[in-house]
Amino acid sequence: MSTYILRRLLLMIPTLFGITLVVFVVMAASPGGISAQTLIEGQGLEPEARKALEDYYNRLYGLDDPAPLQYLRWLNNVSPLGFEFDAEGQVAGFGLKGSDLGTSFRYGRPVTDLLAERIPITLLLNALTVPLIYVIAIAVGVRAATQRGKAFDVGSSVTLLTLWSIPSMLAGVLMIGFFASDQHWHWFPTAGLNRREALDMPFLPHWGSLADVLLLFVCAAVGTAVFLAAALRLPARYRALLMGGVGLAAGVAMARAHAGAPDGLYLFLPLLLGVLAAAVGHMQYVGMRVVAMGSIGLLLGIGLAVSLGGGGFVPGFLLDRLWHLALPVVCLAYGSFAFLAKLTRTAVLENLLADYARTARAKGVPESQVLWRHVFRNSLLPLITVFASLLPGLLAGSVIVEQIFSIDGMGKLAVEAVKTRDRELVLSITLISGLLTLLGYLIADLLYAVADPRVSYD
Amino acid sequence: MTDVARMRQRSYSARIAREVLGAWGARIGLAWILLLAGVAVFAPFLASSHPWLLSREGSIQSPVLAHLTAGDVMLLTAFLAMLILWRLHLALYRKGLILLAAVLLAGLAGGAWLKPPQIVIYEQYREAERAGVYDWVLHAPIPYSPKDYLRDVGQTGLQGPLAHAQHRHWMGTEENGADVLSRMIHASRIALGIGFVATGIAMVLGVIIGGLMGYFSGIVDIIGMRLVEIFEAIPQLFLLLTFVAFFGRSLYIMMVIIGLTAWPGYARYVRAEYLKLRRQDYVQAAVAAGIPLTSVLFRHILPNGVAPILVAASFGVASAILAEAVLSFLGLGLVDDPSWGQMLSQAVKSSTFNWWMALFPGGAIFLTVLAYNLIGESMRDAIDPYLKKSR
Repeated sequence: MSTYILRRLLLMIPTLFGITLVVFVVMAASPGGISAQTLIEGQGLEPEARKALEDYYNRLYGLDDPAPLQYLRWLNNVSPLGFEFDAEGQVAGFGLKGSDLGTSFRYGRPVTDLLAERIPITLLLNALTVPLIYVIAIAVGVRAATQRGKAFDVGSSVTLLTLWSIPSMLAGVLMIGFFASDQHWHWFPTAGLNRREALDMPFLPHWGSLADVLLLFVCAAVGTAVFLAAALRLPARYRALLMGGVGLAAGVAMARAHAGAPDGLYLFLPLLLGVLAAAVGHMQYVGMRVVAMGSIGLLLGIGLAVSLGGGGFVPGFLLDRLWHLALPVVCLAYGSFAFLAKLTRTAVLENLLADYARTARAKGVPESQVLWRHVFRNSLLPLITVFASLLPGLLAGSVIVEQIFSIDGMGKLAVEAVKTRDRELVLSITLISGLLTLLGYLIADLLYAVADPRVSYD
Repeated sequence: MTDVARMRQRSYSARIAREVLGAWGARIGLAWILLLAGVAVFAPFLASSHPWLLSREGSIQSPVLAHLTAGDVMLLTAFLAMLILWRLHLALYRKGLILLAAVLLAGLAGGAWLKPPQIVIYEQYREAERAGVYDWVLHAPIPYSPKDYLRDVGQTGLQGPLAHAQHRHWMGTEENGADVLSRMIHASRIALGIGFVATGIAMVLGVIIGGLMGYFSGIVDIIGMRLVEIFEAIPQLFLLLTFVAFFGRSLYIMMVIIGLTAWPGYARYVRAEYLKLRRQDYVQAAVAAGIPLTSVLFRHILPNGVAPILVAASFGVASAILAEAVLSFLGLGLVDDPSWGQMLSQAVKSSTFNWWMALFPGGAIFLTVLAYNLIGESMRDAIDPYLKKSR
């Protein structure tokens, strides 16, 4: 196994080399290319100052050298193994040295520092998104496959295809417009990852008195328990009635929360939410119903506790961060979720109809066991393969999401870098995102061996 | 090809076509695309400040026709030629040749004969009408051009739908005061054009590279796969951004670049198909008969492996349209022409949120992408033998 991993890691080097070469050629071959002139263009300098600045940049970054030499120099700087030069530019030796990603033209700071600030943010977004989409997608996809041709399957296919086709720009713009701007519902923050004050808050939420904490826990537990019991015990008609009532109330509350709401909103929102909630309550799918109704009960309980309890509540750093991340994560997740759920459905369906599944059923294995122990395990393989291609997609998605929600992650940095023709930054971001993508492929291949005992890399 | 073989081939493709067209999803998708194509072709007639017809001191003029460009004429000719060729019984490549010739002729004739005025004053018609110069005027359904900023009206910029009683804007106005619906109608040309041309380029590249990889396998395959891997390991959006930021923002460059960054997916599909097909007897027979390589690759193998490529192409058009919208949204799109993505980005750019700028252009992107996805889905269902068995 370790030799396989080592070989794969070594094979990444030529690919990474190729990636940076492609991007460098694009930059160097473009009209104007990357030169000191384009760097200081449009600053309206005096000719002498212009000349001096050009010379300075040329000396600093070697921009007047031929392009292949520039690329080789960059490569030498980046690779941990390479030539070392002394002060006069003579070769001093060849060997291991530190790898240096250079200095950003625009920010005037080492690229490594910039990336060290930005990458964790993008990774945080993706780390929250990936497990979320996998869990929901598997729940929906497996159910759709077992219910093939029935209402859930048809409904979910239409919904998934629709979700998959919604451009994330549209979703992001609508979400930020309706749920974050103060024109409509000012529920979420419009930009950034934290409020200014949140940096001084303690990490976890904090209450004024112990009684409030107790009240919160009691209310949350009671709310959840009531709705869970309803979800499990009540017949479908009463469940739909209960949830419909909750939806209606929520719709009215939402319309009231809108400043200057037109009268139509009082009709439209309660109707929409009521029908949606009733549909959730009426759903045959136990697992999803329990989760949905349980979380609604939890939210109602928390809401009750907040309205009953006294003040002195400090949300804390964590809640504030989550509150800021909610819309971006939803915006990043829904498209990949739809894609993944469709894939799960196909994979499970294929295996459900396979001969071995029929054999297991004929032996008398219960259907749930056929599904989860036989079929599901085999259906995991395509889901794992997709993990590798999901990662670059999510990285690209972060570009849009970070731009809309003004999150200072790597995606936003990438857009700024190409817009300002920041050579070192563009190359480094290419290198890093290429590396992340290739690591994704590697992880997918390793997981493959875990899920499928027939695959071994020894 | 014998008659029997031809019949068989036709019946297979006809069967697939019937099956695709039978699915309601594909019908809806196709209907939307056709509607959009019609709108794109007739855009200068649908939304224009130039009246269709007007009578001035007894003489009848048509400013719309006077302002047609060579490009408009080419599109109209293509549309008419397709309509006529649709019913004719001719080989496909002959139809293509006739279409190409007609479009080229129209372009040349249009370039030679049409002299649309360089400076367009959109306000003149409204002012003249108010002054009572015209006897009667027949306006376009949407009497605003995409770049008509309504300077004569005074208060312009960012008005909601139907906010103004005299100047009715069905979908409001954008920040400079131009009509949103008119801009959307004219932007449909960009969306459709980008989708088709970029996918065409990607498909041609993918078929050639993937075909060579699959057919020769061995060392060609290894090198080719590394190339594919390299292009796939760079996030496509990022490569696009780099290209566009460094090479300027022309529509044609954008088409070429989206095509250039999308080919690895097709290459993978084609390679898999060719790997499967190259050991088939009919391919061996073709090689043994001494048929030239290009003919073996593209006339014998390709038609048999084209189905999955077409499915991928349908999804590819959707993602090309999305790619253009994303670039425009990020401020790297076309500078002077309206595009759906650029309009969408205007929805949040100003200090307030303008729902009509988000909902209408965004909805157009969504519906177009959905339409192509629906067509792709039903095509995939139609050619998938496994699904048929399980149905």
